[in-house]
Amino acid sequence: MAGIDTGGGHGKGRATNHEIPLIPFIDFLLCLVAFLLVTAVWSRMARVNADANVPGPPDPEKELDDQPKDKTLHIEVRGDRKFQLVWKEGTTVVNTIDVPRNEVKIGDKGDIRFPDLAKKIKTEWAKNGSHRSPTDKKKDQAVLHAENTTEFHELIAVIDAVYATTRDFKMGGKTDELSAFNVTFAVK
Amino acid sequence: MSYGKPLSRFHQPIEVPGRRLMHHVPLEFVKKKVIGGGGRALNQEIPLIPFIDFLLCLVCFLLASFSASGELPIDKNITLPQAENVEDMMDAPMIAITGKQILVNGTPAGSTRAIEDANRLEHIEELFNRLKQAKENWSQIRPNKPFPGACILQVDREVKALVVKSVFNTAARAGFPNISFMVNRIAKSGGEG
Repeated sequence: MAGIDTGGGHGKGRATNHEIPLIPFIDFLLCLVAFLLVTAVWSRMARVNADANVPGPPDPEKELDDQPKDKTLHIEVRGDRKFQLVWKEGTTVVNTIDVPRNEVKIGDKGDIRFPDLAKKIKTEWAKNGSHRSPTDKKKDQAVLHAENTTEFHELIAVIDAVYATTRDFKMGGKTDELSAFNVTFAVK
Repeated sequence: MSYGKPLSRFHQPIEVPGRRLMHHVPLEFVKKKVIGGGGRALNQEIPLIPFIDFLLCLVCFLLASFSASGELPIDKNITLPQAENVEDMMDAPMIAITGKQILVNGTPAGSTRAIEDANRLEHIEELFNRLKQAKENWSQIRPNKPFPGACILQVDREVKALVVKSVFNTAARAGFPNISFMVNRIAKSGGEG
């Protein structure tokens, strides 16, 4: 066991050699480890992105004047019954699709998901998305129109449904899976 | 064997064989080692010092990641919504929106009541000034790096979209267009959507 040895100790005074009591020290450390492990917070925090740069950053490989007008997907949260997906090219409406608002509850705090909306956005993007190539650096733009009284957890559920659509993205010989859309808010 | 008579020269004594090597070394501990018992010693010393080193490292790590109030950056008045399709957290200024207050990195920067009372999209001057200041501070500390313009919004799940849009708009105008919403990650359901 660990000790302090001064090398002497033949005299009459108090012994100068000491044994350090390691066992209580180890017990203390083990208690401390157990306490810290029990109180440790295993983080579940994450983020969903929303970019205010509309219509997104320009294509760096083309002249600014030569940028084609991409189709943007406008998601309108219309009351309690349905969503409306509107594909627009500039200000021109290309296509409008109604999606019933079928919500699925998750957790015990009343959070919701919209799996039907996510499915519909995925099929719509496969048909109309402008940036589907794995080598394309740009993302398609989704604009969320929500009523002022909509609660934040509903907004997150809609954004979550938009981000469920993913695509492959190749860069430097490596393929990643990225969300197909960049979401922003319509501000009016 | 008879012990009284001297042995004849043809009579070889029987002796217990033993180790002979290094008997000439006049050191006590060498003698002890050489005599040995044959076979390995049964008593083992547990190497406590590396064990204590390991425990100390573990304690240091856990203490470093310990936070007395749980997850410190989260305002206690905020209940975050849950989402599946998320990204990992990043280091950026935190804007918290509780039921009544707007906070930037824990300090008040406006009220939600004014926006709700106006019932229209509002520019939040106090928030705008604080974010401008944060941007200037960032640029002064890192003059050679491009400003990322990112911030994270911690929003209570019941806050109205009008307040969220007002804060979103103000943050974008203050030079933070890359905005993320903090959520609780949930496991992907595996099904469509």
